[in-house]
Order: sequence, then C-alpha cells, then structure tokens
Amino acid sequence: MGIEDIFANPLLLNILINFAVGLIVTISLNLEVGFADIPQFGRVLTVLMGALVAGGITGRIVASIYGKPSGVEYANHLINYKLVDELSRLLAQSPTLSITMLVLTLIIAAILGGIVGYLCSYPALRLEEAYLGITLLAFGDVLQLVVWNYDPIAGGTEGVMIPDVFRWIGTGPVRFVGATFIILGIALLVFAYAERIARSPFGRSLKAMRDAPLAAEVYGKDIVALRARVLIIGGALAAMGGALWALYTGSFKAVSYSRLTWTFWPWAYMMLGGTGNNVGMLVGVLVFSIVRTLIYTYKDLIGSVIPINPNWLEYMLVGLVIIAISLFRPQGLLPEKPVFALPRKKIEKIRKAVLGENIEESEAKES
Amino acid sequence: MGSEKYILQTDDLVKRFGGLVAVDHVNLRVKRNTITMLMGPNGAGKSTLVNTCTGVLKPDGGKVIFDGQDITGWPPHEVYRSGFVRTFQIPLPFQFLTVLENVLVALPNSGENPIKAPIRGLWDKEEEENVKRAFEILKMVGLDTHWNWQAFRLGGGQLKMLEVSRALATGAKLIALDEPIGGVDPAYADNILSNIRRLKETLDVSFLLIEHRIDIALPYADYVYVMDRGAVIAEGIPDEIKNNPKVIDVYIGE
Ligand SMILES: Nc1ncnc2c1ncn2[C@@H]1O[C@H](COP(=O)(O)OP(=O)(O)OP(=O)(O)O)[C@@H](O)[C@H]1O
Ligand SMILES: [Mg+2]
Repeated sequence: MGIEDIFANPLLLNILINFAVGLIVTISLNLEVGFADIPQFGRVLTVLMGALVAGGITGRIVASIYGKPSGVEYANHLINYKLVDELSRLLAQSPTLSITMLVLTLIIAAILGGIVGYLCSYPALRLEEAYLGITLLAFGDVLQLVVWNYDPIAGGTEGVMIPDVFRWIGTGPVRFVGATFIILGIALLVFAYAERIARSPFGRSLKAMRDAPLAAEVYGKDIVALRARVLIIGGALAAMGGALWALYTGSFKAVSYSRLTWTFWPWAYMMLGGTGNNVGMLVGVLVFSIVRTLIYTYKDLIGSVIPINPNWLEYMLVGLVIIAISLFRPQGLLPEKPVFALPRKKIEKIRKAVLGENIEESEAKES
Repeated sequence: MGSEKYILQTDDLVKRFGGLVAVDHVNLRVKRNTITMLMGPNGAGKSTLVNTCTGVLKPDGGKVIFDGQDITGWPPHEVYRSGFVRTFQIPLPFQFLTVLENVLVALPNSGENPIKAPIRGLWDKEEEENVKRAFEILKMVGLDTHWNWQAFRLGGGQLKMLEVSRALATGAKLIALDEPIGGVDPAYADNILSNIRRLKETLDVSFLLIEHRIDIALPYADYVYVMDRGAVIAEGIPDEIKNNPKVIDVYIGE
C-alpha cells in the first residue's frame, strides 16, 4: 500500500481537511475572542465572504483569462457547470495558473475579509458586549440570506461550481490528498503567524486590553485602533479559511455556510482547546475534527443504536460540549500560559545583569 | 511647552454625578519637579479629580492644562502620550499577564504595530531595553522575585506595587498616584515614598500623590492640597497644613 493509498482513506482525509480549515477559522476566532475579548458570534460572516470570493470571483477571473463568459451569465446554473468543467480541464494543464489562482483567491479573500472585519469594528466600538454579540451574529445571517437569494453573485439557491485549482496534482484521490496537504501547510503557516503575534508587543497589548481595558487605555493603548486591527486580521484569516474550503470542495452554495458549522463549532473548538492559547486551538480542533468526522461517517450506524436522529446529534453535541466545558473546565484543555516576547533565556540574562549574579536563592517558588 | 511653572493646572474644574458635585470648581497647581500631595477624607473627590484630569471621566466644566497644553476631555491614551499617567486606587492589573509583562505593557514598543509584530528582529532591541527598565523598577518595589508570576496570583499589597511599577516605568512627566501605599506594609511604604522622592530629585518628573495616611506621607510632600466634599479647603506647605484648623477639623470630625 503506497502512501497515497493510506491518505486516500476517506475517513483520514476528512479528518485532515476538517482539521486544516477548522484550525484556520478557530485561530482567527481565538485572536478576536481569546486575545481581544470581542464576542465574535458572527465568525461565519467573513468565512462566507472568503468562500464567496472563491465562488464568485476566482472562476470569473479564470473564465475571462480564457475568453469565456465571466459576467452575470457565469453564475447562471445552466451555463455554470459546463463552463466550469471546461475551465477545470484547462486549469489542469497549467499548474502555474492554478497556483496563481489559489494565491490570488487567498489574497482577495483576505482583503475583503479584512474590510468586512473593519466594518464590524464600527459597532464593535460602540455596543455593549451582549448587543455586539447579537449584532455580529445577525450580520453573518444577513450576508448568507443575500447570497442565497440573489443569483447574479454566486448562483443563489443553485450555487456555483468552482474551477479546480488542485487538479494539476492528479485525478481522483490524488487530487484530494494533494489539496489536503497544501491546505494543511497553509493552516500551519497561519498557526505560526498567530504564535508570532501572541509573542509580540501587539499580542501583549491585546491581552492587556482584554484583562483591564481601562488600565490599558491609561497606559497608552488606543482601544478603538486595537479592536479594529484585530477584527481586520481575524476577518482576513477567517476569509482565507472559507476560500480554501470552497476551493477544496469545488463548489459554493450559501446554505453550506451556516452559523452552526462556521460560528458555533469554532467556538466549541476554541473553548475545548483553551481560549487565548494557540496550541490549545490545535488540540481542540483536532479532537473535534475526529469526533465530528466519525459521527458524520457512522451516522446510520449511530442512528440505529440510539434513538436520536444523527442529523440532530451534531447540534446536541456542540451544545453539550459548550455547557460541559463552561461548567467543568472553563479554561479549556490547555489553559492560557504566560508567553514572552523575547526568548526566556534572554530575559533571564537581562534579569541577572540588573539584579546581580546571586539571585538564584531569591527566586520565588513556582507553584 | 516645558517652560511653564506648573506641569498640571486645573481651572475651575467641575465634575458632577447627578446632583452630587464630586469636584467643585477645583483650581489645582502642580509645580514642576515636585511631589504635590492631595489629601482629604473618604468621598472628598480626590479620585474623581484624577479621573477627570486623565480622561477617564469627562469634566462638566473647567479646563485641564498639562505641560502648557489644554488636554480637557482628551481620551486616556492621548493623555498618556502627552506624558501624564496615573495609577488606580483599586489596582487594575492585567490578570493573565506576568508581573514583567504588566510593566512592559506600559512601555511603548514599535512591535505593537501589527505589521511589525510578527518579525521580532524589528523590535527586539527596544524590547530588551524595556525589559531592563522593567526589572530595575521591579527590583525597587520588591517584585523582582515574582517577575514570572501571573498577576492574579499576587496579594493585595503586591498588586499595589505592581500598579505603581507600571506608572514609574513609563518615564512620564507627571505621575498621579492614587493611594499607592494603602494597605502596604509601612516599611515598604517608606521605601516607595523615598524612591519616589529620589526619582523626583534625579529626573524631571513630578508627582501628584493622593494619600490618606498623612503620618507616613506628609514628610515627603513639597506642597499639599486638602479637599473636602468636592472643594479644596486648604493648601500650603506641609507644616502649614499640619497646623491648619480647618484641616484638623475635617480629620477629627471624620
Ligand atoms: N462613578 C461614580 N458615580 C457616582 N458617584 C460617584 C462615582 N465615583 C465617585 N462618586 C462619588 O463621588 C464622591 C467622590 O468620590 P471619590 O472616589 O472621588 O472620593 P475620594 O476622595 O477618592 O475618596 P476615597 O478616599 O474613599 O478614595 C463620593 O461621594 C462618591 O460616592
Ligand atoms: Mg479615592
């Protein structure tokens, strides 16, 4: 059995792709909620924005490059599926264009996601926490409704197909394995970026604002600017997650971008992992990707054993998990740990230089 | 700027809470490079006065002039940038940050810019300087052994010291300390106050010191204001204040 056969196992592949995209979205959520204390109950909004870029813009660019219809008619479902099929075959011949389109999609998604995030900062600076949470939640639903009901953007209820930027890798399972690993790589880059932010003066200012907003202001932090910045970054990252998901699945339909999947699940991932801790996000998303994929895969089996419709099981599970974590382990599996902007060794060195050499004894007990 | 005799000046400053006049036409003058003490019984309006000067509360009337600039109604972060910081009577620590980071937050660093933040090489030299400065201050207040503790683990007195360290670290031109030694061991309290005086003598920094415990604090003050029910009832050098009948009255009547 070759390596690609192992990964072509649909269960494993499903876990991996859900993990990769889930990680990107959860990292973005954690930046806003865990670092900046913004009640982001509208994560789906920018995820959908990113998916919409893949569904409504990427294909049009490819179509216009090959001189095909790229206007309103592109999203017409009678034309779209045939057109996209042809575009996908053309793209498969050109890895360079495919990769360019992948990168371009991510860039456009990040820009538009960032803009939407920035627009959200307007209410975010003026509303009390509970009202803000509800407002953000409503924003997400509104965009979904618009895209669902207005055909010319991305096919409305019929949705659109998306030219395949991964087909140059191969056909059949090879395409899915290759795409999964590319997306996984991007997810790990996003993770590394979030870790760099966490260990920077910027991340520290965000946490200061979270812990004591008034003290942060008195010590020079511009709360308005900080919130806006983190909403831009979070929005951009989440949109990249949405775009990657759409590119991977090869189609876009507004109905797939529900708040259960793209807001509540990421919240559960984040709470399980440990709000404010990026490594916790890795753990939380991994555990849940496995559980969710298993439930999804063994739906019928589960349905025959327990008297619950397995379609509802997911909803119940997300609710149960959030309640259980809040009750029994509010800080999550990996509680937030202190991080430093400089390497610990360097800090110790400066400390020795300031306090003199014989400080070992005076070290306070860690407990 | 920089030439005025007073670093801080309030002109007829007023702050009301509904019908209560918490700050009643106060004209405060903090001379450059002095420790100016603000005393008065509970509820006199001392904290409210500081809040109104630093943008935490918006005044209902009057002006705040800092370093020759009208800063009336400025938001707190702009007041900070002009060189005026304050501490809180009830400490407001950054709970999940370590003691060291609590101090570092108060120091500007270009790594706060989100574009520069991921690239450590762009700001690590600044950070090293800041860490050095933070440890010097922490040593002074006796918190250096707890530098890697998250703030929520500290006791009440230690939190007070953390509050003071953040303010001292900033290198501001004026630091308002709202009861910095309340609940602190008298030995440490004396240590803090003498360090504050030493800072005043070596640097161009001024202090507005709010304090209840006159016995400990008065010897360190250059000038004293006494407030009662929102208004300034007396001002002068410590010796005058000690013997001022109005002041004695207020404190005995308490
Ligand atoms: N946010 C507020 N809303 C309503 N009333 C307030 C508020 N803050 C203070 N007050 C009232 O204003 C008056 C002055 O309070 P302030 O805290 O300034 O006094 P203080 O001199 O600092 O007293 P203490 O020595 O107890 O700290 C008090 O009567 C207080 O109850
Ligand atoms: Mg007070």
